[in-house]
Amino acid sequence: MSVVHAPSPAPAKMQTRKLRFFYGARESLKDVSLDFPENQITAIIGPSGCGKSTLLRALNRIYDLYPGQRAEGEILLNGEDILSPGVNVAYVRRRVGMVFQKPTPFPLSIRDNITFALSHFERLSKADIANRVEKALRQAALWDEVKDVLGRSALSLSGGQQQRLSIARTLAIRPQVILLDEPTSALDPLSTNKIEELLDQLVRKYTVIIVTHNLQQAARASQRTVFMYNGEVVETGVTAEIFTNPRERRTADYVSGRFG
Amino acid sequence: MNALILRRKLFDAVMIALSLGATVFTLFWLAWILWTTVTQGASALKLSIFTQMTPPPGTDGGLLNAFFGSFMMVLLGVVIATPIGVLAAIYLAEYKRGTRIAGVIGFVNDILLSAPSIVIGLFIYELLVLPFGHFSGFAGGFALAMIMLPIVVRSSAVALELVPPETREAALALGLPRWKVTLSVIARAARPGIITGLLLGVARISGETAPLLFTALNNQYWNANLAAPMANIPVVIFQYAMSPYDNWHALAWAGAFIVMLFVLTLGILTRVVFRQGGRS
Repeated sequence: MSVVHAPSPAPAKMQTRKLRFFYGARESLKDVSLDFPENQITAIIGPSGCGKSTLLRALNRIYDLYPGQRAEGEILLNGEDILSPGVNVAYVRRRVGMVFQKPTPFPLSIRDNITFALSHFERLSKADIANRVEKALRQAALWDEVKDVLGRSALSLSGGQQQRLSIARTLAIRPQVILLDEPTSALDPLSTNKIEELLDQLVRKYTVIIVTHNLQQAARASQRTVFMYNGEVVETGVTAEIFTNPRERRTADYVSGRFG
Repeated sequence: MNALILRRKLFDAVMIALSLGATVFTLFWLAWILWTTVTQGASALKLSIFTQMTPPPGTDGGLLNAFFGSFMMVLLGVVIATPIGVLAAIYLAEYKRGTRIAGVIGFVNDILLSAPSIVIGLFIYELLVLPFGHFSGFAGGFALAMIMLPIVVRSSAVALELVPPETREAALALGLPRWKVTLSVIARAARPGIITGLLLGVARISGETAPLLFTALNNQYWNANLAAPMANIPVVIFQYAMSPYDNWHALAWAGAFIVMLFVLTLGILTRVVFRQGGRS
């Protein structure tokens, strides 16, 4: 089959080359070669089970946690293959942050949710830590809502707030790439709006890759879109092109809601 | 048609009556035990119970040395069983979950969990009493630790397994090392469950008699030396209840009442801790 590659306008921050992924013997990514351009939002769309979450989970090697899951091929971060044996996985994850579908607040205070990783990585004064916390919370558009209750348990926040806290936590350690796995699917429309506005801000400083089931969200929020089906990349290109003028029949069918 | 409905209604009524009967049967004995312990125990309560030593036959006294001995040995049991049990649970639930070795260890742990406590008492007797030639508080504490250990392992492992996998992934996705994630996030999230298990373990070993009978035995006098035989509430209850003296009977009742009150308090505390954990 012909994979259509549109030219990338920006240099690629992350790339995959002939990436294959296995859950035991089952192959769920087949020969995926993609470029994720710097300072752009790339949306990955496709029907359930097409491998889009698997792809995301490969990009920061979080799958390492589970014996029986493995990746073959290459995943390049700044040109360096993060699948090669000698790589420091923790350092990869520090640079490639991830936000999950369900908000994942730690059972700590709002402040400690952010400082917890920060103070592990950097020796900072109290004032610096307070600054970083405020900055991260402002970036995640949560500061005004929580600035007076930083000592409260993060579990007391609403779902939408918890998700923005998860984003703030990721931002605080200054990653280069942010992966988001259906970050708004568990949220109400208002919270979803806030997160999408947030993405617009983030993309100026970070490379963002978002998996979404919500086609409008992909159309609204992303510059580039990847359409996957059955573990393969069917089409990739500028978002407007994918949604208005796709080259592949299956892409056209999917974005117009005929299947998926 | 009417007959069918009637039959079903009748069946329903009979079944409800049977389940009600079973509940009442169970509660009846419990209520009886509680009632007897409370009435007999409360009437035997005197200040001297907390200030005087266990008496020789015919004289009055208290249970101070037995309370102290029980406290020391339960403390020793908790101090030994808690770190080992929690660490074993972390190993099983965090590092070896789903593997064969974890399955085997979990199974063996469950066997230990249901081992008769008298067997554990005899085991420690062989190990720590016979070689030294005398009973000791250490042996008692070790025996209690052996009983508490599998409880801590099982309940902590369950608490750790209940932490959502997303929490673990999210913490690792920050680039933190596994040990840091386990200690600061996972163990923290599982804390209410772990504490619940510890409290249940303490409640269990507070009333154990058989393992102490073969290890700490008893001591009529004040003794803070763990290397010597030590008085303790369960064995005092056991010996005094079988004695022919009324004042010993009264002391046994008082001891039983206080142990029951203590275990009840722990049970309530357990629920409070667990509920708070569930809410947050």
